[in-house]
Parts: sequence; structure tokens; C-alpha cells
Amino acid sequence: MAKDPRETRIEDLPGPKSPGELEEMKMPYEEYCRKAFDPGNEWAKPEALKGIRWLSCTMYIFTPHSAANLAELGADVIKIEIPRMGDAMRHTSPFNEAYLYPLHDTRPMTGTGFGFLNANSNERFLSMDYHIPEMVDVFYRLVKMSDGLTELYRPGTLDRWKMSYRYLQEMNPRFIYVWGGGFGYGPKVFGGSYDILGQAHAGLASITGMHEYMGGHPLKHSNWCIDWASGTMITHGILAAIHWRRKTGLGTMIEFSQVQTPTRISGYTFPLYGRFGIVRQRWGNWDTQLCVHGIILCGKSDFPDAQNPQDKFDARYVMVSAFNDPDFKELCDITGLKDFYGRYKAHKDRVDARPQVEIYTALEKWAADKTRTQVVKTLTDAGILAAPVMNDREVYECKHYRERGTLRWLDDPLYGDVLVASGHSVGMMTKTPRRTNWIWRPVGADNVGIYRDLLGIPLSKIEEWYNKAWI
Amino acid sequence: MVDKAKLTPEEYLATILVPEKGRETGHVCWDCKHLKPVLKGSKFPPADLIGWCTMIHWPFYWCITDFNVVKKCYAMEKGIYTPKKF
Amino acid sequence: MADVIWCKKVVGGKPCNTVNYLDPYCFWNWEGKTNCAECGTVYYIYMIQGHMYRGPDEKPGEKPDMSPLYADKPLEGYTYYLPGVKGRTRPYECLPRHIYLGRADMVKFSIRGKPVRGWRPQPPSGGLAGQFPYKWDIKKLSPEVWAEYQEKRKKGEVKEW
Repeated sequence: MAKDPRETRIEDLPGPKSPGELEEMKMPYEEYCRKAFDPGNEWAKPEALKGIRWLSCTMYIFTPHSAANLAELGADVIKIEIPRMGDAMRHTSPFNEAYLYPLHDTRPMTGTGFGFLNANSNERFLSMDYHIPEMVDVFYRLVKMSDGLTELYRPGTLDRWKMSYRYLQEMNPRFIYVWGGGFGYGPKVFGGSYDILGQAHAGLASITGMHEYMGGHPLKHSNWCIDWASGTMITHGILAAIHWRRKTGLGTMIEFSQVQTPTRISGYTFPLYGRFGIVRQRWGNWDTQLCVHGIILCGKSDFPDAQNPQDKFDARYVMVSAFNDPDFKELCDITGLKDFYGRYKAHKDRVDARPQVEIYTALEKWAADKTRTQVVKTLTDAGILAAPVMNDREVYECKHYRERGTLRWLDDPLYGDVLVASGHSVGMMTKTPRRTNWIWRPVGADNVGIYRDLLGIPLSKIEEWYNKAWI
Repeated sequence: MVDKAKLTPEEYLATILVPEKGRETGHVCWDCKHLKPVLKGSKFPPADLIGWCTMIHWPFYWCITDFNVVKKCYAMEKGIYTPKKF
Repeated sequence: MADVIWCKKVVGGKPCNTVNYLDPYCFWNWEGKTNCAECGTVYYIYMIQGHMYRGPDEKPGEKPDMSPLYADKPLEGYTYYLPGVKGRTRPYECLPRHIYLGRADMVKFSIRGKPVRGWRPQPPSGGLAGQFPYKWDIKKLSPEVWAEYQEKRKKGEVKEW
């Protein structure tokens, strides 16, 4: 202790006393991350959006996903559905095969399909026919005690029902209102949208797939990637609106046209047109800016005896990246394509279309008598970035996703054992991690919890509404 | 109707894909096999295109405008796109 | 558009009358020989942008390069050849599973052997106005599945991953 108690000396303080000691006391970064993120123990930590209450008057994937993002981060999201019917997405399932039961006690033979997964996790489910005059007041009461709403009706529908932002902001000036749909106001105001329409209409499908020269057609992504991406972009808007409201006390209206999302994803496509009048074309599994940087086909499958054609025939693709000069030289050396390095020493030479056709053709020829594993091993041993193109079974078995908690088994409180993806760990957070508490609940599963406990409506009234199918 | 047995594949393609504009636009492109013409009756793209060049910016397509007449081109290769308008 | 080959070959005194569908992903720009799914007649075709440029010309005695994906006989009601009939139609290798059911597939256990509510009908377990609890009381609601689960656990069929 120093003589003068007001003096603070570093040796009296707890903690490291020198930069060297500080370095020694630090745990390795890997260990720090494991401890800080701690996948599997999310529930011991607080939720970032606790206290936000959101109404979700949505269907399908795009708009529901915007609210599911909030719910996974801790908001209390109330999904309002058509009584006894629910979101149309509940009735979809891959090839009509995968359902979880029940949908509702009155419909014991109907389930909710896996099409509904991930877009509605952690939400509470209310059923209400809110457009009939008897229920409008109940809807307004929910608006007054909520922070915002997402809806997806044709533009102006909720305005006609006096439930649009123009009306709701008068009852709750802090209300954040999201409309999400196909086109929004403008020349195509009445146009509805699906994910595939979004991909087609904004030019994304036209630059996906093999070039016309190679016999390719425009492709859509197998999954509804524009729905998922648009929902996530709405969530960004909502979080920004919440921050703005903290500063000003005022709500916002967010109007989100789904067909705009692919324009964001399409990179240089539009600027290129604006500069030269060039229409970008598809370039398949190769890359227009980098070469070598693409996916090649090997001759032999890793699982030639597998019963599943996905394993038997498709376990043959390898992603290769060797675009900078030393890597490309190495690639040419080990694949025996030395003359290519002689001809295309500079990246600007080999990134042209014609050299790319030559190089990738030669690489596939080199790989024609090898399995995927052999190709990956040969390349990675030489210090070149290469990875197998994995299917979902292989992803499930991959340690990376298991250790980080991306894929995990959820013991759903109502439906049992379900394998869930990404609900916990798209963007890990040390203090307030995302989590999946439940995948979904039956239609109207929280009716009493919301009508009675939140709004104070007596059970007799709830029963009366239920018998009239208003809820 | 032309007898398709006598047409080359390029000429046949030109009979099923009829261009909106033709030789009167003055482009040398109508003799070139790399032209991909705007088809008759198409609403997209805007009417001031005669088509796209599939070669000089390959693999991308360059928009050939009506008003910017291409008189000569290094990528020009003999081909037939509008036999009807010859 | 894509084209079809309507086979009119007279077989056994009457025309074959089979429509062979030339699916665009394979036949859009294609030159080669294909077969009729019903009578096996080999046709030479040359398609450009989905249009028939040459053919179909019969090539008796030659082997087809590729079969159509699907064929049917519209004049004889609902007679058809699904993809993957050996020697007639091309197999469709993109099937996600080797058994394609196309109807709700009931399961009681997930692939690691734990119970999941994938079968119907489920015993009613909701309350007023469709209110559901936050717990699946499997022991009470489906005791037979619970018993089966205990059996599986004893046999070591329940895995962690």
C-alpha cells in the first residue's frame, strides 16, 4: 500500500502487473470462445429483445421469418392465425410426408408440416378472425400494448379494415408497422409474390445456373432463399426502427417489397449494365471475378455402394480455390497441367471466359479417375483450398456444426425430438445468444394465455367466441 | 413455309425465332452469327435494342442499340439471322 | 416449348399411339436417337431450342441414346409409363429417397430413437379454445409409445447423435 491512500499503484491492483503477465494470463482464443459462447447453455443467459412484444399477422415464410428472428432473440411474438385453420404454410410438407400432430384438437387427422419450420419458432399462437367488426376492438387492444406488427396482405387491405399504420399510429405513436409483400406501391401494386417470382422477377434466376452456351437454363435456388433473406432484412429494419424509437419515441412504417431483395444479392450485375450496356449471364459453378474458384466434378463417387442416389451419384463434387498466382502455380504443378501456368501466369489472363473453360475442363479431366476424397486430399495437402460439396447427411455428421451448436436435437416441449438448424447460432452472441425454445405450437395454443391473462377477458366470453369460431 | 430439310441449323433457328428488327437498321451484326436478336412481339427489353452480341463481352451479352449502328467489328463471323429480310 | 413424339407405328395391326415426352432439360438442344416407350421403335431427332429441326425418323435396328422421361397413351385413358421403367423410360435419379411415398409418413421415433409426435391421430390434450400446455405428457397420453421407448432404451437403440 502506498503511503498516501489516495495514490493508486499498479502493484496494489488485482490483475496482471505487466504486459508480459497480461499475455500469460490470457486464455487461448479458442478456449475463450468456447467459454464465452458456450453452445448448449443459451438458456442461462438473458435475451436481448426481452420486453418487446410483436404481432405477426403473417403467412408462408417471408414475413413470418421476420418475426421469428425477433422471437429467437427473446421478443414475445404473438402469431395471429385463422381460427382452426392456421397459417397456410402449416399444411405444406416436403412431398406431403413430414407432419407433426396435432394441428388442433378438433382436427386430429391434420398436422403441421415441416414447411412451417424455422419461420415461427418461439412464438405464441393466437387464433382470431380480426377483420370481423366484433373482434376489431380486441385487435386494437393488442396493438396498444405491443411494439409492432408485421403483416402481408395485399397493399391497402389493412387500410380498408382501418388497421394500417395510418390508423394504428394514432392509438400508439410508438408503434412500428411492417408491411411485407411482393411489390408494394408502384406499377405492380396488385402483384402478389412467391419466392420463385422474386428470384425470377429481379433477375436472380437469370444469373443462376450454367451458361446458355453450355446448355444451361435459368435456375431458381432449390430452397426459398429469397423468402428467408427478405425476412431477415425486415428484421434488420425492425431493429433499426426500435433504436430510432429509443431516440425519438416515434414508431415507423416499414414497407418491404420482396422482389427488391434479389437486386441486393446480385452484386455487380446492375452497375455493369449501367456502365457498358452488358447483360450479365450465368456462369454456373465457376466465378466471373476469380479463377480458379469453382466447383469441379470428379469421376468417382465417395460412396459407390450407397443406396441413396444423393450419395451414390452426387458425392463427386469438389470446390477448389486457387486464384492467386502461387496457388495457381501449385495447382498446375500437382495436376500436371504445367502448360496452363505458362500460358496464364497473370490472374487477369486466366479470369477471362475462354481460359476458364479450358482450365476447368482440364481439371475435371485430371479428376476423372479420382474420388472426391482423393481430390480434396491431394489439393489440401498441397496447401490449396478445397472442400467436398457435402449433402445434408454429411453436414449432420460434420463436427463443426455439432460443436458450434448449429445443428442440434431439440426436445420440443410439445412435439418431442426434432433436429433443428440455425435457430441457436446464426451469429453467435456472448451475452444474449439466440435460441430455439420450441419449433411451433398448435393453432390457437395460447388463446387462454393471451385473451385471459393478457387482455383480461373472462373465460365465458372466450368460450363464446370460440363456439362462434371468431377465435 | 420454307422446307426445313434444306436449312442449316442457324437458318432453321432464324425461322422459329423471328427478330423484331432487321437489315434496315444498318448493323453489320445481321450477318454475324454472334447476334442474338430481340424477338418479334417481345415487350421486354426496350424497343431501341436490335439484340445482343454474345461474343465481344462473352460470356456476357452486350446490348446492341438501334441508334448506335455497328459498321464493323473484330468479332464478326459469317452467319445468318434474318433470311426473311434479305 | 418442348416437343413430344406421338408414335403411330403400327404394331400388331393397330397404331401404337403413345406420346413420348421429350423433357426440355435433356432434349432442348439435342441430336440423337430415342425410343418409343411402348413399342421400342427408335427415332432419330435433332432439336434446336425445343423445336424439332430434323425427324423424328425411324431407325430400325439401331440402339437409342436416351429414353424419354415419361410416356402415356392419351387415347386409352390413364395408361402411362412413369420415369424409370427399365428399357422404356429414363430413370429419374434426383429422387430424394429411394422410397418415395408421397403420403404422410407416420413416425413415432426420430432417427436417433427418441419419441416425436409424428403419427396421427393424437389423443386430445388441449384445453379451452384450443389452449395447449407447454408439455407433452407422453407417459399419460401415449403410454404404448412410452413403453416402446423404454424397450428401445434397454436395447441401446437410443443414441445421442
